[in-house]
Amino acid sequence: MADNPKPDSSESAIEVRQLRKEFGVLKAVDGISFDLKRGDFLSVFGPNGAGKTTLIKILTGLTRPSSGTARVAGYDVAEGVPEMRREIGVISHSPALYADLTSMENLVFFGKMYGLECPEESALAVLEDVGLAPRRHDRVRTFSRGMLQRLSIARAILHDPSILFLDEPFTGLDIHASNVLKEHLQFLHNKKRTILMTTHDVSCGLEMCDKVALQVMGQFAFFEDIKDIDKENFETMYFDAVRNNQFTMGIRPH
Amino acid sequence: MNLFLSQISAIVWKDFVTELKTRELFSAMFIFALLVILIFIFSVNLSIVKASEVGPGILWVAFLFSGTIGLNRSFMLEKENGCLMGLLLAPADRTAIYFGKLISNFVFLTIMELFILPLFMIFFNIDLIEHLFPLLFVIFLGTLGFCALGTLLSSLASNLKTREIMLPILLYPLLVPVVIGVVRMTGQILAGEPLSEMMNWIGLTTSFDIIYIGVSIMTIDHILEE
Repeated sequence: MADNPKPDSSESAIEVRQLRKEFGVLKAVDGISFDLKRGDFLSVFGPNGAGKTTLIKILTGLTRPSSGTARVAGYDVAEGVPEMRREIGVISHSPALYADLTSMENLVFFGKMYGLECPEESALAVLEDVGLAPRRHDRVRTFSRGMLQRLSIARAILHDPSILFLDEPFTGLDIHASNVLKEHLQFLHNKKRTILMTTHDVSCGLEMCDKVALQVMGQFAFFEDIKDIDKENFETMYFDAVRNNQFTMGIRPH
Repeated sequence: MNLFLSQISAIVWKDFVTELKTRELFSAMFIFALLVILIFIFSVNLSIVKASEVGPGILWVAFLFSGTIGLNRSFMLEKENGCLMGLLLAPADRTAIYFGKLISNFVFLTIMELFILPLFMIFFNIDLIEHLFPLLFVIFLGTLGFCALGTLLSSLASNLKTREIMLPILLYPLLVPVVIGVVRMTGQILAGEPLSEMMNWIGLTTSFDIIYIGVSIMTIDHILEE
């Protein structure tokens, strides 16, 4: 078997250069470049169809880019090496949990897939972290949306990844569940985990992050440090982008 | 344990725990196989044709049709709630996922076949006891080939809207050599011939089993990629 490329020892967690992904004539990701250092928290905003999910799919190795390069934790995402997947945790629209298994069984299963030495102990520890330890013997099928999202976080952090990707994690959550999720993200950010989150929740996204991006029609129309932006101006810009997108969705110049 | 093997066993464990809780897969496959055999019993006049001549074909039609239901269900489980994405994000070799699913499918189908055999014996009034070990060997070869190719194609079809239709359309034509081999061998076994008389068929079936597994190992990376 070929040697896997080793990650570099730099502070960079994510390096993206001229990344592109095309589906026929549709440019889902169109020449995006950015860097995130270890411990950075980037919130990516953008209207529906802007290519945010595709960007996350590329960065997590689920989809190959059409061109350009992306390195996550020092690994080239196009190589799709298992070592890179050990460094990342992903929370997406769908919880990626087996409905007929209990929460404990789900986490033990994923613990085994990640090669953890004591998957039962690790599973119990993260279930306690997300407040689901009392429900560990209940089938996932019986969980509410908020509980599913908390369990999804538990699955994503089970192997203690250094980089987290969150694809619209607040969708469908009530205020309480949303606050619980925010607390967890803040906790992970304080632990110097690198976080890339896509969201439509402007106040929440701006509150937690230290870098902001606005993705429109596959491109980063805006990418700044949070301290360098005027939040009100940004909100106006975001809402304008969403409004304009309603007229242009699916029709893209190339 | 080696990580590759422990990942395979984790997938098998997960499938077994799920099946023990739901019993959806086994019951669906068993009832369907039973119904296929019953329909053939009512449609074939056993006073004109010999049961040992039509029996092998009917037995394998029941196994393959019910096995197809199992294969469809198997990858559907992975698609629900985005579980397949969770699996693909794990630091697992794609072949570990393939072999995990292959072993689960193989064991579930074999268990169902072992339950069907006594019923087949009763309905067709054929004594299988004296031919049991050669018959189990042939069933092993046929089921392995079916599951090896079926697991690959069900992972391919799971991304399609028309997966229930596409799987048999893709699977059955490619499975023809194995089906011919196992039906012929089952017929010869029921006629009282020893396995040593059918080395050509054993060679053909085994070769295709190996080809199916080899092709799966080579292509599963691309098939599981979105």
